[in-house]
Amino acid sequence: MTKRPLVAAAVVAACLAGLAAAVGAVTLDDFATVLASVPVENQARVLAALDLGMKSSCCGFPADQTYDLFHRLASAPGAASDKEAIILVFTQAIEQGLPIDGLLNKAFEGLARSVALPWLGQLLGQRVRLLEESRDLFYSRGIFRATPGASVAAGATALPPSRFDALLSNLGDALGDYLESGGSPFESQKIYDEVQARLTQLTGSVLVAADVELLLSRIGSEDLKQVVLAVVS
Amino acid sequence: MNLDARDPWDELLRETLQRDVAAASDSLAGLENRVVERLGDRSPRRGFLGSLKALVAPTRGARWGQLTVVGATACACLLLGLFFGGRFPFAQHAQSALLGEAPATAKSVATRSPVGNGVLFMLPAKDAKVVSVVGSFSEWEPIPLSDDNHDGIWTTEIPLAPGRYEYAFIIDGRWFGQDPSADEYVRSFGEYSSVRYVGGGDGA
Repeated sequence: MTKRPLVAAAVVAACLAGLAAAVGAVTLDDFATVLASVPVENQARVLAALDLGMKSSCCGFPADQTYDLFHRLASAPGAASDKEAIILVFTQAIEQGLPIDGLLNKAFEGLARSVALPWLGQLLGQRVRLLEESRDLFYSRGIFRATPGASVAAGATALPPSRFDALLSNLGDALGDYLESGGSPFESQKIYDEVQARLTQLTGSVLVAADVELLLSRIGSEDLKQVVLAVVS
Repeated sequence: MNLDARDPWDELLRETLQRDVAAASDSLAGLENRVVERLGDRSPRRGFLGSLKALVAPTRGARWGQLTVVGATACACLLLGLFFGGRFPFAQHAQSALLGEAPATAKSVATRSPVGNGVLFMLPAKDAKVVSVVGSFSEWEPIPLSDDNHDGIWTTEIPLAPGRYEYAFIIDGRWFGQDPSADEYVRSFGEYSSVRYVGGGDGA
């Protein structure tokens, strides 16, 4: 009778292990294999960044999607150096703790459209710079990504990491789409309207209304113009 | 009646006139040209309304032509009104293409009427052999559409979590990024992609 709980625990553990194996969670070894097939010269740096991302306790690092992308990139026609340049754009974003969901989507689309790899790399690099500049703007306006145990200064607001990343990612995407659609970096009101429309559309489904209100109350059209100008100049 | 018979008063009048004309011959030289020039200078300049009025005003022998012009103008106004009023099918998308902006019609099939457990993607493509949809919901890998009853309407239903999705159709290998039922369009890599917002946007 006393052995029953142990047996039950063993069964549950076996089931979980089987489930994990069936799901096939991506490991660093899998990444190493696909990077070797490109091949990538800076493999150690890329793997270190991926390890960092996969170990981050929050926000669900999209390891499977990243692996799929690298795998698709490895088999795409093009020079290895162009492929590595794209992989390094992702590496840079992960190293800096930037959300990469939007970047992944853009890269998948580019590969599906058979876009020239140098152009794809250039565009992804621009999106990473937009995320960097946007995050700096957030910080300068007192909007932070909450970290456990860190204190928050008066007047500043620390958002939970997943909400901060969602806000940042969608702002970056909106600005990137604006530029890619041929929008002028000097038309501050148009940039603001574009961002406001995008964020408002996502309020209630992807974004929290209070977060969107916070952003729009602290960031103005001139701020967004400066972000865009910093990236295109 | 004798045509050669002349009234003496008539003779006197004719002689007087001839004498006066002869006396003023110097000043009468080029009179016709001067009159024409002056009249030209003093002719009223018609504005747009004046020209329209002149066109519409009935004159003898041209009434049918004028009625045609008036009718054509009225028809053109009516068509423009219907077009910009969005009464024509695809008028809003055509307007968007003309004006270079995305249509303002948010919330279409995806947001308002998800069918079953998924979002309905539908495209009329009568003579197509293979139709698929690619998008951010599938890592841009093709998902086939079907036309089971061969009516030229291709459909598929994809379960989607709330969010914003970019996508395009592929019809017999050709990309088609302007789904008529999209919420908006974006330019991506120099081409159009359609966008749908699922599960809210207005807090729904």
